[in-house]
Amino acid sequence: MELFDNLLLGLSTALQLNNLIYCLIGVVIGTAIGVLPGIGPIPTVALLLPFTFGLAPASALIMLAGIFYGAQYGGSTTAILVNVPGETSSVVTCLDGHEMAKRGRAGPALAIAAISSFFAGTVATVVIAVLSLPLAALALKFTAVEYFSLLVLGLFAAVILAHGSVAKSLAMVFLGLLIGTVGIDVNSGVARMTFGIPALSDGLDFVPVAMGMFGLAEIIANLERPAVRQVVSQKLRDLIPSRADLRAAFPAMVRGTVIGSALGVLPGGGAALPPFTAYALEKKVAKDPSRFGKGAIEGVAGPEAANNAGAQTSFIPLLTLGIPANALMALMIGALMMQGIQPGPQVMTEQPELVWGVIASMWTGNLMLLVINLPLVGLWVSMLKIPYRLLFPAIVLFCCIGTYGISNSAFNVWLMLGCAVVGYFFIKVGVEPAPLLLGLVLGPQLEENFRRAMQLSDGDPSVFVTRPISAVLLLVVAVMLLAMLSPAVLKTRERALAE
Amino acid sequence: MRVVTRRRFGWPDLLFGGFLIVAAAGTLVATRNLVGGTAADMGPAYMPRAIALVLLAFGVFFAVRGVLRGPVGIETVQLRPILGVGAAVGVFALLIESGGLALASFAAILIAAVASRESRFFEVILFGLGVTAAAVLLFVKALALPVSIWPW
Repeated sequence: MELFDNLLLGLSTALQLNNLIYCLIGVVIGTAIGVLPGIGPIPTVALLLPFTFGLAPASALIMLAGIFYGAQYGGSTTAILVNVPGETSSVVTCLDGHEMAKRGRAGPALAIAAISSFFAGTVATVVIAVLSLPLAALALKFTAVEYFSLLVLGLFAAVILAHGSVAKSLAMVFLGLLIGTVGIDVNSGVARMTFGIPALSDGLDFVPVAMGMFGLAEIIANLERPAVRQVVSQKLRDLIPSRADLRAAFPAMVRGTVIGSALGVLPGGGAALPPFTAYALEKKVAKDPSRFGKGAIEGVAGPEAANNAGAQTSFIPLLTLGIPANALMALMIGALMMQGIQPGPQVMTEQPELVWGVIASMWTGNLMLLVINLPLVGLWVSMLKIPYRLLFPAIVLFCCIGTYGISNSAFNVWLMLGCAVVGYFFIKVGVEPAPLLLGLVLGPQLEENFRRAMQLSDGDPSVFVTRPISAVLLLVVAVMLLAMLSPAVLKTRERALAE
Repeated sequence: MRVVTRRRFGWPDLLFGGFLIVAAAGTLVATRNLVGGTAADMGPAYMPRAIALVLLAFGVFFAVRGVLRGPVGIETVQLRPILGVGAAVGVFALLIESGGLALASFAAILIAAVASRESRFFEVILFGLGVTAAAVLLFVKALALPVSIWPW
C-alpha cells in the first residue's frame, strides 16, 4: 500500500509543529486577502516568496499553498456578505449567496460555503494522492523531447482554457518566453539583452514582474473606479444550517467536488473555471431552476465545493510533472527553484517528504480553515470596514519592501515600477497578464529542453512527432487549436467564461 | 490623454499590436551582435530571435485588425492614480538604500495616498506612521531583512 505509506509520510511532515504553524500562517493570510477585494493571492505569494528562503522547502510550500486555498475560503465570505467577489473564483457565489444573506440567511450561507469547501478540500487531497503516483511514473519516461512537448501543451492549454482572447493570450505567452530569455545564456555564457545591467545577468526576476503586473497595475486600475462597498449588516446568528439545508446542499457539494477536481487538473484550470461550470450544472439538474439567483442553497454549495477542489487539484501537474496549471502555480515553481529544487517529475522520487508533506498539509489546512472561518467570521467581516483609501497605500508599500527583499536591490523595485506601467497598459487594452507570467517562468526550461532535443536529433524537428508520447501531446495541442477555430466551440467557451 | 479615443480605429488591438512590434524590433536590435547558430547547434540569439519573429507576426496581426475593425475606444486614462502610485514606488527605490526603511516607507505611504481622491490629510499621516512602525517591526525585526532602519 504505497499510497498509505506516502500519506503517512506526508502526515508526519505536515503534523510537525513548525509546519503546522506555517500552515496556519498561510491560511490566515490567505483568508485575510481572500476577504479583502483588491488584493489577490498572486501578489501576496510573490510578496512572501523572498521570506521563504530561510525555511525548509516543505515549510515554504506548505505556507504558500495555504495562502492559495485559504484565499478561496475568504473570497466567499465577501461574496456572500458584500456581493463583491473577494476573488474571481467566488464570482458565482455572489449570485445565490448574497441573495441568501439579503433574506436573513447569511449564517447558513456562510456555513454551507465553509462546509462545502472543507468537504471538497478533503476529497481533493485524496484525489491528489491517488493521481500523483501514476502520473509521476509516466513522467519518469520523459526525455527532453517529451518534456518540451509537455511544456508546449501546458502553455497552450493554460491559454485556451483561461479567460480572454486566445490570440492575445498566446501573444502574451510568447512575450513571457521572450523576457524569459533575458540574462546569461547557460550554454554559451553570453549575456543576452541585458543592456549592460549586471542585475539582469541572472535573468528577470519574476517576483517584481508578478507584483508589478498583478499587484500595482490592479491598484492603479481600481483607483480609477469609484469605490462602492456595502456590508449586509445583520447579526450572524444561527450559523448552523438546518437539516433540510444540509440535505439540499449535500448532492450539490458532491457534484461540485467532482467537477472541481476534474477541471482543476487541467492546465489553465485552478480556481476560476470550476465554479462557473458547477453552477451551470446545478441549474440544469435542479427540479425548479427558477429558484437560482434567489437564494438557492445548491447555488452556494456546488460552486464553493468546485472552487476549492479545483484550487487544490491544480497542484497535481505542478507536483508530478513540474508544469504549472496557472499563474499562481508558476509562482510555486519559482518558490521551488529558489529553494534549489529543479521542478519536474524527479521531485516526487527525490523529495517525497516535500511532495507528500504539502499534499497532507492541505487537509490539515482545510481543517484549520473550517475553524478559522466559522466561529471567527465576525472578525473577518470587520476587516471589510478598512477603507480602500488606507488599504492600497499599505499594499503599495508592502510590494516595494517585498520586491526589494528578494536580493536587496533597488533595481528590482524599478523593474516592478516598469512592470506596473506595462501591466496598466495591458489592462487598458484588455489583455490578461497571467499567460505572460507562465511564459516567463517556463521559458528557460522550454528553451533548455528544446535545444537539448534538437541537439539529440541533429536539428531535425520531426523528432517531436515521431516519438509517440510527444506526438500525442502535440496532437492534443493541435486539436485544441483547431477546435478554437470552430465557431460552435468558440461560442460555448465564450458563454462558459463570460457569465 | 483623451486623444486615443478620437479616431475610429480599434484602439486596444492597434496599441497592443504596436507594443508587440516594438518589443520584437527591440529584441532583434539588442541581439544583432550575438551568434544565431543552426537548429542543431543553437547560439544564444537563436531562441530570442525566433520568439521575436513570432511576436512580430502577432503584432502585425493585431495592428492590422485594429485598423480594420473599429471603432473601439479605450477607457480614459486618469493621471492621478498612475502618477501617485508610480511616484511612491520610485521614491521608495531612491530612498531605501540611502534613507533607510523607516523614511522610505513613510514617504511611500504619503505619496501613494495622493493617488486617491478620497485620502484625508491627518488620517494618512497617522496611518503612515503606524504602517511604517509595523513594517519595520515585521520586516526588519521579525523577518530579518538586512536593511538599515534610519538614514544615519
